[in-house]
Amino acid sequence: METVGPSLGLGGILFVAAYLLSTIFIGWLARKRRQNDSLADFYLAGRSMGVAVLFLTLYATQYSGNTMFGYAGRAYQIGFGWMVSALFMFSIIVGYLLFAPRLVVLARVKAFITPGDFISYRFGSKALTLLATLLMIYALANYILAQLKAMGAAVEGITSGAVPSAYGIVALAIIMVIYETLGGMRSVAWTDVMQGVVLLIGFAILLFVIPGLGGGLTAVVEEVSRIAPEKVIAPSAEACTTWISYLILIGCGAAIYPQAIQRLYSSRSVTAIKRSFTFMAFMPLTTSLIAVLCGITGIVVLPELVAAETDQVLPRLCALVMNESLLGYWLIVVVFAAALAALMSTADSALLSISSMITRDIYQAHFRPGADEAELTWVGKVCSWIAVAILIVVAIGTEKTLVRLLELKFEVLVQIAPCFFLGLYWRYLSAPTVVTGILVGIGLALGLTLFGQTRVFGFHAGVVGLAANVAVCAVGSSYCWFTARRASSAAGAPETDAAVFLTR
Amino acid sequence: MSDPQRRPEGGREPRQVTWIWLVYLFLFNLAIPWYWPAGFRGPLVAGLPTWVAVTIAAVVLLAIWTGFVIHYFWDDDFDPRFVDDRPDEGGAL
Repeated sequence: METVGPSLGLGGILFVAAYLLSTIFIGWLARKRRQNDSLADFYLAGRSMGVAVLFLTLYATQYSGNTMFGYAGRAYQIGFGWMVSALFMFSIIVGYLLFAPRLVVLARVKAFITPGDFISYRFGSKALTLLATLLMIYALANYILAQLKAMGAAVEGITSGAVPSAYGIVALAIIMVIYETLGGMRSVAWTDVMQGVVLLIGFAILLFVIPGLGGGLTAVVEEVSRIAPEKVIAPSAEACTTWISYLILIGCGAAIYPQAIQRLYSSRSVTAIKRSFTFMAFMPLTTSLIAVLCGITGIVVLPELVAAETDQVLPRLCALVMNESLLGYWLIVVVFAAALAALMSTADSALLSISSMITRDIYQAHFRPGADEAELTWVGKVCSWIAVAILIVVAIGTEKTLVRLLELKFEVLVQIAPCFFLGLYWRYLSAPTVVTGILVGIGLALGLTLFGQTRVFGFHAGVVGLAANVAVCAVGSSYCWFTARRASSAAGAPETDAAVFLTR
Repeated sequence: MSDPQRRPEGGREPRQVTWIWLVYLFLFNLAIPWYWPAGFRGPLVAGLPTWVAVTIAAVVLLAIWTGFVIHYFWDDDFDPRFVDDRPDEGGAL
């Protein structure tokens, strides 16, 4: 993206600056509320999140800057076919239903801090925990990179280029890491509350003003039917296969985002999680759907956009609204605050998660098993600064587009899904089997991508890899079951549950 | 758990109930627009092509169904099945 936003002018920039400074103030407040120097307090807010905070932090984390810009751009390109985004964002909640009920209870009993804690507990394998942790860090680093690049573009856009993208990336990333270091998960979650509310308001404003640019939704759709009929007709059979593939890829991949899993660990109670998920199930309708409608409006209002410019459809539509009236100007100022909120709330959560995994699953597990909680918390804060410094350098130095980064992220992340979806329920799933499955899945997914086969019969390379991964898990588990049964028969005793746990 | 007679085993979770997933299968089938004829748009419903309106309606139904499932088939209470007396290091199977 070259630019993300129209110039906001001095008033708008001051508003956005006040908003950004308020995040640091919230970080300071969160620091005052800390109870001790423990990892659970820093990374999980003392496991104290109630319904409102949990819901808004899940929402602000799950819906990123890509939802706002990327989804509108994609709808501009392919039309209503991108309605799949509303469905795959919903599928994440269904993904949670398949493992979260069991995981959250176990997390509370065993005091898990990171996803790696569960993997270590369940499989008892340092190799598997390290592999899964490194893959999750890689995926999250990609995710943060995409957000940082979009932040830079946003700052450059709202200042009409007066502040170059690189400076924007550095400034926003430093603000983010400051409030995160101050209060850890507590400050990230509290800023998420503000950012989630701003995001909801921003999307409501978009629904209110954008379709009006094309004369209302009915007029827009009739016009698109005339100038680009392929963008309003029902998807082909192959496209529907890709819809199914998206549901699997995002439903399994996004459900095991480490930052999302840690939010489940952070909840005050199971009731808080259940109510948050209930609200989250409706969020695609207030977020993804609106982004799609904005993209569709762009087809009529801005028919000249091509290729990478399509990611700018929403900012350009906003520029038109701004120029219409003073009210329009201030509405769009709020929308851009929402855009920054979407970017920062996603990036800060992912950064905190990376910091926790490096501290807990690498530093403590492999180098300093005897380290006390205060030392680990300090190491975690240092990790945040080092990680953000590295990511800033990479973000400023790379030219990859937002969408490409996201594709690579899910291809990798989804291969860890069997650890959770199957590990919690298949008693004979062993660490060597899971490691083999992950390596086969990643090898297949990246191999196909490398050879240009990003889709196979409509299915994403990552989903093909996941299918192979699950097949390996099924064969490995069957073998372990058979071996255990034969051993118990030879011993003349019925098989017992003494050597297994979790899966009943 | 408010009604121990109705949920005698405790710790119930959606994954254990087959028919919940059959309903999900039906609703996802409804949401994915595979059944419309090629090139179909249909009359506009609330400003949207018919197939889009049906997909949105299906997403709404999915969300409502999920709320129902979470409320009635995911127990809040602590499930003692998860407690084992083995050390926290876990153990390979």
